[in-house]
Amino acid sequence: MTEPTFDSIFDDLIDVNEELQSFLAILEALLPEASILLVSEAGTVLDGARPLALVQPVRERLVQEAKAADGFVAGKSDSGARCHAVYLAKLPAVVIISCAAAPEDDWRPGSALTTLLQNTIDLALHRQEREMLVADHEQSVRQINILQQQHGKLIEDNYRQYRLNQDREKEYARKLESEITKQTAELREANVRLEEISQLKSDFLANMSHELRTPMNAIIGFSELLSETPLAEEQLDYTRTISQSAASLLSLINDILDLAKIEAGKLELERLPFDLAEVVDNVAAMFKIPAREKGVVVACKIDNRIPKRIMGDSNRLRQVLINLAGNAMKFTEQGGIDILVDYEREAAGQIVSRFSVRDSGIGIPADRVEAIFEKFTQADGSTTRKYGGTGLGLAICLQLVELMGGRLAVESEVGKGSTFYFVIPLEEAPAEIISLKEHKAAGREKAASGGRILLVEDNAVNQRLASILITREGYEVEVASDGAEALEHLRHQVFDLVFMDVQMPNMDGMEATRKIREIEADPALRQDYVGLRTLKEPLAIVGLTAHARKEDETACYDSGMNGFLTKPIIKAKLAMVLSEMMPRISCLENKDPS
Amino acid sequence: MPSAKEILRKFTELKTLPHVAIKVTQLVNDDRSTMQDFEEIIKLDPVLVTRLLRLVNSPYFGLSQKVESISKAVVFAGMKQLRNLVAVEGLRGMFKGDDADFSAQKLWLHSATVAILAGMIAKRIFGKDGEDVFLAGIIHDIGLIVENQMVGEQLREACKAFRDGKGTLIECERNAIGADHSEVGYLLTQAWGLPQEVLSAIKSHHLVKPVKDVSGTGSILQLAEFMAGKMKYWAIPGPTEQLPPELTEHVKERVADYKIIIRDLPGEMAKAKELYEASE
Repeated sequence: MTEPTFDSIFDDLIDVNEELQSFLAILEALLPEASILLVSEAGTVLDGARPLALVQPVRERLVQEAKAADGFVAGKSDSGARCHAVYLAKLPAVVIISCAAAPEDDWRPGSALTTLLQNTIDLALHRQEREMLVADHEQSVRQINILQQQHGKLIEDNYRQYRLNQDREKEYARKLESEITKQTAELREANVRLEEISQLKSDFLANMSHELRTPMNAIIGFSELLSETPLAEEQLDYTRTISQSAASLLSLINDILDLAKIEAGKLELERLPFDLAEVVDNVAAMFKIPAREKGVVVACKIDNRIPKRIMGDSNRLRQVLINLAGNAMKFTEQGGIDILVDYEREAAGQIVSRFSVRDSGIGIPADRVEAIFEKFTQADGSTTRKYGGTGLGLAICLQLVELMGGRLAVESEVGKGSTFYFVIPLEEAPAEIISLKEHKAAGREKAASGGRILLVEDNAVNQRLASILITREGYEVEVASDGAEALEHLRHQVFDLVFMDVQMPNMDGMEATRKIREIEADPALRQDYVGLRTLKEPLAIVGLTAHARKEDETACYDSGMNGFLTKPIIKAKLAMVLSEMMPRISCLENKDPS
Repeated sequence: MPSAKEILRKFTELKTLPHVAIKVTQLVNDDRSTMQDFEEIIKLDPVLVTRLLRLVNSPYFGLSQKVESISKAVVFAGMKQLRNLVAVEGLRGMFKGDDADFSAQKLWLHSATVAILAGMIAKRIFGKDGEDVFLAGIIHDIGLIVENQMVGEQLREACKAFRDGKGTLIECERNAIGADHSEVGYLLTQAWGLPQEVLSAIKSHHLVKPVKDVSGTGSILQLAEFMAGKMKYWAIPGPTEQLPPELTEHVKERVADYKIIIRDLPGEMAKAKELYEASE
């Protein structure tokens, strides 16, 4: 395809000679006195403003000569005036000019006149080209302007992008924040649910323990009673076996409950003043009898720099020491067991002390040391069978010691013995705090009264067992099978103490206790109750429950009870509570003051 | 006879503009779109990435540093140029096939010429950003492609009638097909979400009606179409339609300008070929 030209495209629209016309006009303006004629390539003749008459043959000859020549060719117009023609390839066209030049003028190429005319024509050509150049320039300017606009738009765009990004970032941050809030809320909710589940589990455990303790209560109590009846040697042996098995089952139940509590994070240590030496001595004393039977010596020693009365949870400390000493006893056949409390250092007003239980037993192989602290594990599988036990004890001790702020560890050598020890900070009890129990006991001792006891208990077996135990301690027992019945009894009779089972049908122990306290507080109501109106002090009520948890004890005290006894009822504990809560002088003979 | 809509419905079931092209077109029209959005779309098409990078690294942009990241390239190219790049890329695949009565390849050459001429006129004579008219140029005869694929026989009939001087192309199409390519093209590109100016230019590029705005996209497209036809870069061989008198007048006033455009066209076409079509 040939290169398209303007003419080939726009020939329909635009007169192709228009360009020649404009050139003619420019040239005429430059040569005001000349007459000019333009002949296009196609032979079209264009006349100027001042016509130049030229007959066709002359014109055609001039055109042909001009095209062939390099420069001007001369001719004569119709009027006889001289004229000159020249071919302009740029247009292309032949221009014929007649100007008022003298005949003698030199028209040869190179002469001043021809040069002048040639330059004039060139100028006209350039002027016309200038139009193109101007247009070209204008187009360039427009394009540059567009580029500038585009540049400006680019910058604008970039700025807009920047703002958009900023907005998005903000949006993102906001979303992130709300997402975090949402997730936190979800986590909280999940946490609450977990806590609920955990609570349910705890409740379940508490109920289980209650259900287990109730029959255990009967087994332990009655086997104890049985062993006190006249029995053949063989029968007595069987009875003891029942007692021991029941006792170990009970301790297992306690262990499982403890562990569950610890794992649920429910176990909280008490912070009450107690006598450290008493606790340690008690533990040592517990093992005196089995030690004597085995021929093992049990000794204890407390550094005298350690204060006598300290703050803490005496029961849990005792539990740990009993566990460790019990283990020592289990694995020691000869030699001795020492329970030691050593002074380590003083820090932040606390005495850091080291408790250790040292034995001369079989020892633990080094590679099993870690395993013994695991649940349900002993030094080796066979040990479990030979020495018995569940392996829960150490796991519980480990956790209890941690709660006390220490770490249970062991040093051991096979065949020589083991030392279990832990280092915990002890805080001296302030002098002014006196044990609540002691205070109560002291208060009670002064208030003297009879020896009648009201036992409120729904379970018939437990009624019988507790009645027998209390009677044996030398008290008169009246039985009520629920809270409402107990209130009825108090309406007509006087009692020195009430043993109140907590879980009962109709009206439970807590509610009954609250009712009793209400009546005591109301002088009018009080008159209706023989058992309450004469009392100077609130009636002594001891809660009886198979729930061994701390919160159960607290709940008992909160409802208005003065004492707390866990079932199964242990004779020794019953005796202790009775001696604490009942006046010394009280016995059946003196109940009637008359 | 099928309506333009029916032809189109069948067509869109068969073929659509590549997903990338539609997405980019939408992004250009959306004020809230960001360079990242473009980058996300473009990087899915490796051919497009290559072309985009070549475009911004070409002497046309005259950047001192080589651009190697898509997002930077998008920034330099600008959204509209990017859209055109994608449109060319997407459409070219459709303009295939060649026979005596209808040549899609020749149509492509026609479209490209019209696009380049329209861009030149817009920029050089009216001082306008030429990207929209370029797009209008490249896309204005898409209706013929649709017709070729859907009602090929009838289109060939129409082409023959047009060549034989039995009326304008639009008239011949209406007779043979029942619809014409400017209508079909308009409906199709409407679905693609092109700017309104471009849509109406496509719709009216064969319409004889008084010209209100000589510098409008429609006028520029008509001028470019006329010039391309005169250069024998025609869509369908046949008589060239007359320019409306307003546009003829305009050309007469700007002879020098059009001379320059015609002079510079071969160079611009070579450049476009370089930018849009350069092989690997």
